[in-house]
Amino acid sequence: MVAIERLDLTIAPREVVAIVGQTGCGKSTFFDLMIGLEAPTEGTIHIGGKSPHTDFDSFRGRIATVFQQDRLLPWRSALDNARLPLELIGVAEAEQRQRSLAWLNRLGLGHFTNAYPHELSGGMRQRVAIARAFSVQPEILLADEAFGHLDEVTAAELRETFLNLARECGSTAILITHQLEEAISVGDRIVVFGKSAKLLADIHVKQWPKTKHALLREAIQVTLQSNAPDARLALS
Amino acid sequence: MSTEHRESVPVLIFPRQTLVSLLVFALAWEVLSHLAPALGIPPFAIPSLLRIAKAITTITPLDIAVTLARVIAALIVSFVVGIMLAMAMYRSDTLDKYLHPMIRILMAVPVVSWILFAVLWFPGVEFRIGFVLVVVCGPVFLVDTLDAMRSVPRELRQMMRSFRPTTLQFFVKLMLPAIVPTIFTSWKVNISLAIRVVTIAELVGAVTGIGHQLSVAQELFSVADVFAWTVVLVALLFLLEAIVARIETRLLRWRA
Repeated sequence: MVAIERLDLTIAPREVVAIVGQTGCGKSTFFDLMIGLEAPTEGTIHIGGKSPHTDFDSFRGRIATVFQQDRLLPWRSALDNARLPLELIGVAEAEQRQRSLAWLNRLGLGHFTNAYPHELSGGMRQRVAIARAFSVQPEILLADEAFGHLDEVTAAELRETFLNLARECGSTAILITHQLEEAISVGDRIVVFGKSAKLLADIHVKQWPKTKHALLREAIQVTLQSNAPDARLALS
Repeated sequence: MSTEHRESVPVLIFPRQTLVSLLVFALAWEVLSHLAPALGIPPFAIPSLLRIAKAITTITPLDIAVTLARVIAALIVSFVVGIMLAMAMYRSDTLDKYLHPMIRILMAVPVVSWILFAVLWFPGVEFRIGFVLVVVCGPVFLVDTLDAMRSVPRELRQMMRSFRPTTLQFFVKLMLPAIVPTIFTSWKVNISLAIRVVTIAELVGAVTGIGHQLSVAQELFSVADVFAWTVVLVALLFLLEAIVARIETRLLRWRA
């Protein structure tokens, strides 16, 4: 089975890109390739001239991920979960705590630093996961359906916080989602995947004023359903 | 936000139902002890509770200490060897394929066979007993630890790997904490196993320890002494399990 076939995609530094596609189109495989956990069977992936798979260790502290489920370590408190990436790159303990505490405070969890994951709500756990990702101020942020399992109000709030923090850190952010509204509200670019991660559309959102977002949503929907680019989204 | 306070767990818990059961058993035993002659049962076969209580007062603490030391030392060695082999087998499929059949064979060999091998192979009593305990308990630790490592959720392993830990960090910060609950279960199982195994090993080939004292009691036809030493063994088992349970509650306080 081919998960991704002939994908040619370039993402500029500091861009915020939403990858949208239907289930089974290769988004998760793309995500694993970007993290470097899988190697492509053909072709290359380069981040700043290096492969995230073969130069795996060189990306320590430079790539951070937020998954659909928080994936917090249940035996660690919120603070200890948030500082995990800093431990892995050898930051001094006092600085780990200081930086993690700062991120948790920014995400509204200052009073919950000693709480264990089972004592937190779903939204709070995802905030801890976001704090964990930002603790190393990564160059590249990868989020895979990070807000998909939350209620709409919490998701919207977290999404905005996430994007603001990403821009503040100057990170290149790639958000994978199946929700069109999320993709449109996210930012600079929307990349639409068809089956086998075929690139169906590459949309610069700024070219679509807010008054035309309903039209954009419809065009993306048609593209996804037909697995062919809608004329309104012609690739440049 | 307040964290729930967990109530401290008493070292030994005796619910009312347990006490009633023990009392009923004790009464039944005492009645049987008095009726034994009338029933044609030799008096020494069912000694009175008073006789058993007297036997308990003659228990030698040194033998308890020796047995306890053998059990604890062997469990520690078994645990270290088991967990290290488990980590090696987790990392290497080749090693796993070669060692797995041998582990299964080791676990299938009866304890008595191991004791006889030990007596025939090794001259030193302590080494014999230690050998038998480690060869019986080690594989249990190994299998439980390996299964637990393989059961660590893929999502957590993927999350951890995405942050690029070193091999040591991966084991220390993810795998070891994740398998702690299984380790405690394995310890409880192995304590029970070790107490039984050390008793048999001492019975056959030692001049000290609870097993040896049981052998002496058997030669003297003293059921009261057998009973007394058995009570000590059971109490020892419960005490060790309670200590492990106490440590478990403390270390796993993060659990819901």
